[in-house]
Amino acid sequence: MSSFAVLKLEYGACVDELTAALRAEDETAFFAAVDHIVHMREPGMFTELRKLTDDLQQALERFSIEARLADIAENDIPDARARLTHVIRMTDAAAHKTLDLVEQSGPLAERTAREAANLHQTITTFRSGTPGFEAARSIEGLMPLLRSIEAFLPAARTDSEQVRRNLADVLLAQGYQDLTGQIIRSVMKLVEELESALANLAKLSGGNVEHLSIGAEAPQQPGPVVPGVTKGEVASGQTDVDALLSGLGM
Amino acid sequence: MSKDLKFLVVDDFSTMRRIIKNLLNDLGYANVSEADDGKTALPMLQAGGFDFLITDWNMPGMPGLDLIKAVRADAKLSKMPVLMLTAEAKREQIIEAAQAGVNGYVIKPFTAETLKEKLDKILGPGK
Repeated sequence: MSSFAVLKLEYGACVDELTAALRAEDETAFFAAVDHIVHMREPGMFTELRKLTDDLQQALERFSIEARLADIAENDIPDARARLTHVIRMTDAAAHKTLDLVEQSGPLAERTAREAANLHQTITTFRSGTPGFEAARSIEGLMPLLRSIEAFLPAARTDSEQVRRNLADVLLAQGYQDLTGQIIRSVMKLVEELESALANLAKLSGGNVEHLSIGAEAPQQPGPVVPGVTKGEVASGQTDVDALLSGLGM
Repeated sequence: MSKDLKFLVVDDFSTMRRIIKNLLNDLGYANVSEADDGKTALPMLQAGGFDFLITDWNMPGMPGLDLIKAVRADAKLSKMPVLMLTAEAKREQIIEAAQAGVNGYVIKPFTAETLKEKLDKILGPGK
């Protein structure tokens, strides 16, 4: 078969359709026939076009990942460093506060125990009625013991109250675990995001794009104030909060 | 009598729940239950018996603000006193909480005195 015969075989029917549509003034059929011919003529064109679109999309995705990575490197990483430094400061302060209170309470408890033991010893000796102690067992003999008890009780009370207050402060100092925990969680979130951005970038470089999960995170509350990182109007303490709320009529 | 009040303390950190529970015990409130987020707390509140809610804001599952909105929207719970105890300190957040209907707002870190003062203020004199 000559090459023209092949062409005739391939295109003949389409050209006939086209001519028929032209004669019948059928616009729909006419364009359908034209499209058909174009498709036959340029089979590779659409594949190329699709590939080009895919490449463009990949480039855009890559660009968005790289832009986010640059943002992470420029802003989020230094922020995370400042947050973690603040965590160290808070844990350090809480540990020292706790240790201070323990160091302060120990001697108070020891003193109470020691003086109670001394007093107990004196009373035991007094009651044992050892011969020779007869004179001491009179009311007069009781006076030194009573004076010791009188001195001991208020001191024991003051010391115990101080130890109780210190324990309450130790309790409160443990609040650092909640606050630092919240900050560490926010840094973990950033690490996760960084990991997924890098993984996606690696996939794109390998030409194997799947699903991108950048920027799909749920909105988060700012969490504990971190000096130098937290932006916007922030209450600096309970007094600020109270002033703001009383301004709102609370 | 008021010392019989039943508290629900909602915070995702167990250390903070223990701290608040201990402070409440020190103040004479012995009846304290705990929940780790709004989703756990809401059914407990709806089951009844609680007189006072102390909640954190930032929690996974159901945040404290959503819990407060749910409490205020529930006819049986709408009058319950609510104290928010949170690290969230942004001005707009405090206003948002006030609009949601909190009775008090304490920021972390806080002191035992602050907690007592806010409780006394919410519960009224002599309580």
